Amino acid sequence: MDRVLDAAPGSKVLLLGNEAIARGALEAGIAVATTYPGTPASEIGDTLARVAKDAGIYFEYSTNEMVATEFAIGAAASGVRALVSMKHVGLNVAADALLTFAYTGTRGGFVLVTADDPSCHSSQNEQDNRYYALLGGIPLLEPSSPQECYQMTKEAFALSEKLELPVILRTTTRVSHVRGPVVVGEIVSGPKKKDFVKDPKRFVTVPAVARARHLILLERLREASKLADGSALNRVYKIGTGGRSGIITSSAAFNYVMDAAKVLGMSTDVLKLGFSHPLPTRLIAEFLRTHDSVAVVEELEPILETSIRAVAQHEGLKTKILGKADGAFPQAYEFDQAIVASGLVKAFGLRGEIAKTVSVDLQNLPVRPPVLCAGCPHSATYYAVNKATNRKAIFASDIGCYTLGVAPPYSAADLLVCMGSSVGTAGGLAKVNDQPVIAFIGDSTFFHAGIPGLINAVHHGHKFLLMILDNRTTAMTGHQPHPGSDKGPSCCDITSVSIEEVVKGCGVKWLKVVDPYDIKTTTDTVKQALTQNGVSVIIARRECALITKRDQKGAILKKQYIDQEVCKKCRTCVDKFQCPAISSVDKVQTIDDASCAGCGACAQVCPYKAIKEAR
Amino acid sequence: MADIYLVGVGGQGIITASRIIGDAAILAGKNVLLSETHGMAQRGGSVMCTARIGDVYSPLIPDGQADVILSLELLEALRAVCKASKNTVVASSVEKMIPLSVSTQKLKYPTLEEVRREVTEIAGEFVSIEASKLAGEAGVPMSSNIVMVGALAGTGRTNLDRKHFEKAIEMNIARNVRENLAAFSKGFDAVSRRNQT
Repeated sequence: MDRVLDAAPGSKVLLLGNEAIARGALEAGIAVATTYPGTPASEIGDTLARVAKDAGIYFEYSTNEMVATEFAIGAAASGVRALVSMKHVGLNVAADALLTFAYTGTRGGFVLVTADDPSCHSSQNEQDNRYYALLGGIPLLEPSSPQECYQMTKEAFALSEKLELPVILRTTTRVSHVRGPVVVGEIVSGPKKKDFVKDPKRFVTVPAVARARHLILLERLREASKLADGSALNRVYKIGTGGRSGIITSSAAFNYVMDAAKVLGMSTDVLKLGFSHPLPTRLIAEFLRTHDSVAVVEELEPILETSIRAVAQHEGLKTKILGKADGAFPQAYEFDQAIVASGLVKAFGLRGEIAKTVSVDLQNLPVRPPVLCAGCPHSATYYAVNKATNRKAIFASDIGCYTLGVAPPYSAADLLVCMGSSVGTAGGLAKVNDQPVIAFIGDSTFFHAGIPGLINAVHHGHKFLLMILDNRTTAMTGHQPHPGSDKGPSCCDITSVSIEEVVKGCGVKWLKVVDPYDIKTTTDTVKQALTQNGVSVIIARRECALITKRDQKGAILKKQYIDQEVCKKCRTCVDKFQCPAISSVDKVQTIDDASCAGCGACAQVCPYKAIKEAR
Repeated sequence: MADIYLVGVGGQGIITASRIIGDAAILAGKNVLLSETHGMAQRGGSVMCTARIGDVYSPLIPDGQADVILSLELLEALRAVCKASKNTVVASSVEKMIPLSVSTQKLKYPTLEEVRREVTEIAGEFVSIEASKLAGEAGVPMSSNIVMVGALAGTGRTNLDRKHFEKAIEMNIARNVRENLAAFSKGFDAVSRRNQT
């Protein structure tokens, strides 16, 4: 029984926010769903990939978020319902498609989920994607809990069809990755096929069409604002007996407000905005009119705060508005109950007692940041590259597990901005630096955004080495397939695209494929590549060790141990190589048998041949 | 209300443990919220999950407010004490996973007794559990996480019945259900009988 697909109508099930979104989409009768995996959005796609066949929908892990969005646009413009999900930075990639789709509008319901990541738990920035709703003129719904994730996904589809506009459903890490009870409804199968009715004066955005469509978009937004005013998703929660002070909030911040207000013993009104763009201006004006001071509590950018100040100015209201502008609430990082409680105390001048945090000196505790796993092929690759270059190279890195190579002992990342940036930035680095430049990119990331950069490098004769770290999966986000994979989601047959053929097709003349577990060959190949003119490419291919372990293919690998009689305690295996299975305690290096993945890389690293196969 | 703070190292099965707690709460007809660590932090880093049983809106546990801290790894129990008070039971597996910083920065991994001493300066009680050994005895050596769910149930601080936990284990574990229930039972006994020995 599948928890998401088979939950009976009316039953209460424990669902992750992302699973609740998937269930909501299934109940809304989607025909297609697409994604490119990214934390904290991944489980939306993973759930739909798993149930697609049984649910009778089409699902794909698209090459990137732009393609995922375009695919969904094609389906929705035809009249079926489509869901596309991504992490916040994925929307930067998809924005080109989305912002103009708001002009043409949609026929079938189109919902784009963006999962933001305040505090950068697993991201390169903490951008606030509510701005995309403002930028594109796109209605925005913001759930706070798994139950709302489920419910608002369904409402988003209805709203999208009513307004004929795409709708953004925006979550954050503490919404997508919260598990809670969800009372589900019935899964209704919607149409899976629709004939596309040609209407080029709407759907072909040449300038004349775009100009006309912009006015239609603005008209629809005025309509949307009225819907927001009357929406049940925007409602007041009375705490205690209410009062002359009020709070306006949305998303995860709402949860902290409710808990903090209770702890502080406040009596106040909380206006929760679930449908927050376009702003329900009449509702907000009324709330401001009936309160003397209003705190706006939102994570990251002061988007509501600024717009609410504008409403007050427009309505000529003197209500005191408190928020980030006065320093009551921070503009960086996610909130929690303590931050919100302290903000409310500051904003309203309360004399509430904020629970003191225990001060414990944990500074001397050994830190435990994420690391490359035991048996990770990237570890062997980085060791070989450092050996080949004597660390005299500039490393342009990219997004994936292999970014963890930034830490010592490899220090194998010098510049990283976004998906695919290794290839583009390597060209610029190489043009203005005399040191060798090596770009590292994962297989999934190469397909996602590396190819245009590679074509550019070939075309302009940029001189660098591109290493495609091919572990046969999208590892960091949970081992999703990519275009190079042999097996796709449950619904569909897929065709594996060869990285070698793509690289050659881009015009690369010097290409080698190595097994990173063979450190000597990898080292020699890197040395050779760096003597080439123009762009050279090495594909370092070895399956992710976690998959090898999971599928119990480990039988082909041999666990290692350190022969203490041979070991000279030189520490090469911990200072120049990095493996979580190898530790050095009290000057003795040992391999933990349970953690060892049996890759044998460490045995090649040991200068005294003290690391041996366990019998 | 019961606030449970679960900590460990990425890959130890902490999300499964928290999901079992969540399902047990729902089976008992209670509200529950869990928060989870996914993504980059899971690659062998410190990870935490929360389980809040009762009427709350936010899944995050404020400092000093955990009723139980459940740690799947010894050092991580100490790292979690900011969530503890004198009302807190800290139940930790004695399993040690030596972080790379111990090897590379020559930092010291604390002993069990050091952890016990430092934790009990803040927390009400520290209980150590040989989770890995008990899981092995139950026939599922990889199920330390299930032993620790048993340990949680054994504290009696969740207000959930043992049968709800057992049913939740059946809902979340696909293979070796009987052995996992035995692992749960061993963890339960290790904690509930702690003062009898």
